[in-house]
Amino acid sequence: MKKLYKHLPAVIFGGFISVMLILLIVLPKKDFSSSEKRYLEKAPAFSLSAVFSGQFEKSFENFISDHTAGRNFWVGFNAYFNKAMGNNAPKGVYFGKDGYLINDPCEMTNFSRNASYLEEFAADVKQRTGTPVTVAVAPSTGYVCADKLPKFHNTYHDDEAFAELRETFKTASFADLRSCLQTAYADGNQVFYRTDHHWTAYGAFTAYRELGSALGYTPNDESAYTKTPYPGFYGTTYSTSGFWMVPSENIEVWDNPANDETVSVTITDGDKVIEQKDMFFYSHLDEDDKYPVYLDGNHPYTVIKNTKATSDKKLMVIKDSFAHSLVPYLADHYSEIIMVDLRYFANPLSDIVEKEKVDQVLVLYSLDNLATDDSVGRIG
Amino acid sequence: MVFSSLLFLFVYLPIVLLSYYICPRKWRNLLLFAVNLIFYGWGEPIYVSLMIISTIVDYTCGYFIDKNRDSNPKVAKRFLIASMVINLSMLGFFKYSGMVLKTLNLLPFINIPIPNLPALPIGISFYTFQTMSYSIDVYRREAPVQKNVITFGTYVSLFPQLIAGPIVRYKDVAYQLDHRRETLDDFTKGVCIFCVGLAKKVLIANQMGAMWEAMRATGQDNGWLGAWLGIIAYSFQIYFDFSGYSDMACGLGNMLGFEFLKNFNYPYISKSITEFWRRWHISLGTWFREYVYIPLGGNRKGIVRQMLNLLIVWFLTGLWHGASYNFILWGLYFGLLLVLEKFILKKWLDKAPAAVQHIYALFFIIIGWVIFFFSDDMGGMTALWAQLRSMFSFGGVVIGNNALTLVMSYLPVLLIACVASTPLGVKLYEKVKESAAAPALQTVYCGIVLFLSTAFLVAGSYNPFIYFRF
Repeated sequence: MKKLYKHLPAVIFGGFISVMLILLIVLPKKDFSSSEKRYLEKAPAFSLSAVFSGQFEKSFENFISDHTAGRNFWVGFNAYFNKAMGNNAPKGVYFGKDGYLINDPCEMTNFSRNASYLEEFAADVKQRTGTPVTVAVAPSTGYVCADKLPKFHNTYHDDEAFAELRETFKTASFADLRSCLQTAYADGNQVFYRTDHHWTAYGAFTAYRELGSALGYTPNDESAYTKTPYPGFYGTTYSTSGFWMVPSENIEVWDNPANDETVSVTITDGDKVIEQKDMFFYSHLDEDDKYPVYLDGNHPYTVIKNTKATSDKKLMVIKDSFAHSLVPYLADHYSEIIMVDLRYFANPLSDIVEKEKVDQVLVLYSLDNLATDDSVGRIG
Repeated sequence: MVFSSLLFLFVYLPIVLLSYYICPRKWRNLLLFAVNLIFYGWGEPIYVSLMIISTIVDYTCGYFIDKNRDSNPKVAKRFLIASMVINLSMLGFFKYSGMVLKTLNLLPFINIPIPNLPALPIGISFYTFQTMSYSIDVYRREAPVQKNVITFGTYVSLFPQLIAGPIVRYKDVAYQLDHRRETLDDFTKGVCIFCVGLAKKVLIANQMGAMWEAMRATGQDNGWLGAWLGIIAYSFQIYFDFSGYSDMACGLGNMLGFEFLKNFNYPYISKSITEFWRRWHISLGTWFREYVYIPLGGNRKGIVRQMLNLLIVWFLTGLWHGASYNFILWGLYFGLLLVLEKFILKKWLDKAPAAVQHIYALFFIIIGWVIFFFSDDMGGMTALWAQLRSMFSFGGVVIGNNALTLVMSYLPVLLIACVASTPLGVKLYEKVKESAAAPALQTVYCGIVLFLSTAFLVAGSYNPFIYFRF
């Protein structure tokens, strides 16, 4: 007994690493992690060529990391341990007040370049077809909901960035969404999700109201919509952060019953074409990530037609995922909306503007994406 | 493969330890040789061939050196030279050819196209030095020849210290290779040392590295205090990274019945640069002293020759760290400081209060890390000057907002790193070492380290090994 006690460290060590090995072998392997929202690495197939290229070793290490027993527990424990040690954003997500998980300030790597791409595009389009281009940028959650941030946090550059956009855009007109969102937020509305980087249905609605004057439509009142909240939404900042104890939230669908019979959506993604008479894809509400309920999430090319729109204009929206929750509001005002995602679409857009006889172009990005994305250069 | 990975901890290590202890003693070296090669070849299997070539070359040279040493010393010497030339060419080709070509191209009329060079084989700087020590030790009769090629291969490729040291001289393990006796006491000791190293690496070095990297993103806006705290974080990273690796190596050695010499001895408590280099990367300092400085004549051939010898040794020490000019500068910087201390500063320093001596030593050590960090692929001399400039711009911003946020985020780790750089913890532990509570304390310590390290490794935080590049 005494001998065992003396060698207890070795017993614990040997026991721990052996048990972890055995669990790694015997536990059933999951394909998908719902809390991290990603597919887990599969056991790699052994082949000499894969071993010699190093590919086998790499996938094997990812496989082990993804299937270590209690992975969710370790990731969560690590997040809360770091937080207890004073590091509240080890994964680039701040643990804010009232359950807010907020992305830290983005790096401005491609910002200036992307801004000038947009301006060049606007000038080009104006010259070719005279179509006006409006740019709208969603500010960062950390900028709008600054009071939810932890005491020590990095500086958000939204003000400098928006000033630079104003300066850069000579041909493009710029719709500044900062103050409308700030006001809505100050009035006690939730404009950004707590566990996701996107704006809420209310936040998108606020932006839609604001864009009315820039794009020339009369926005609907809030009362025009039937609002249905769906509980149990855990967004992307939740998945990245590992703060598993933060409560889920509601995601709302604001549906205008007036357009239920008149709207049709056509999504073209590679060889696949999806058609639906509804802008909301309710099957996604059964998943943890419910944001794709709006227009089925990311796709390269989507067309939304409305036979009873308030105008017979055609709008092209060049966008990131922030547009998915905004475009359903816009659909009431345009007989056709062509939605293009440059991250997945590489054909010259000015040609499409010309060919499709587009009347207006809206470029809608979140600041994070506009500052970092390297596909904006495909515009043109 | 690296020690601080889930693959090593939860797959490789349990399987290796289990098969090692099941295996009959006479087959253990063969088993070790085989698993060493898996460890080394993981990710870059092609370089296993280098390891085998290295083994065969030095085994053969050692064999002929031993055979001819008495009867035909000239032939013995030829084999020694052959071993040196082959090892140094291997190192030179893989590590320095790019740098040599670039340097030649600076000369007028020379424009050699630089080919796509193969990636640096991991640990080549360490194992070529080890195999050279074998040939030299045999030649000097300081170590017996190894007749068994498998046993010799086990030494060359021994996985615990294979990729980041310590540089184990052949004579230090010659006897252990054939006659080691694994004991439970050694195993338990090894577990404890391994856990100390794991904690240093995963819980401190990685955090400090993440802080330094994030600091560099806002470079010029950090203010002078921010610039100092950034490089201090790097100083902690490199120490805990490297000494943590050495600890893990020693601990694993113990688990397998080996005993390696200590590689670090609290370098940051030094009172002079001379002392620092007696405490930092001891096995490298020993190697250069024994196989370069003393053969060159050391301090026995007059003061001018001694200074020249020091210059050569420190030039080489710098160069050994990497194929970039800043490393040479770094080596010469310390060479110069050591000469200054030896001949001028020592008298003055010895009289100064201890606090002054510590500040003096730490100041030059930290400046040294600035030179060390900014190799060509980290921005080179331009970035180095920018860092030094911000550290000494006392008139400007004290600390930028992002730098302050980072410091607050890592404050507890910074403080733990300060304390862990001193022998304080060990001194406290010495007091209870013999008491009945010691095993319980060790168990709790190892348990906590394993638990936290697993959490950090699974969460996939920042986990580079700095000394891999060397």
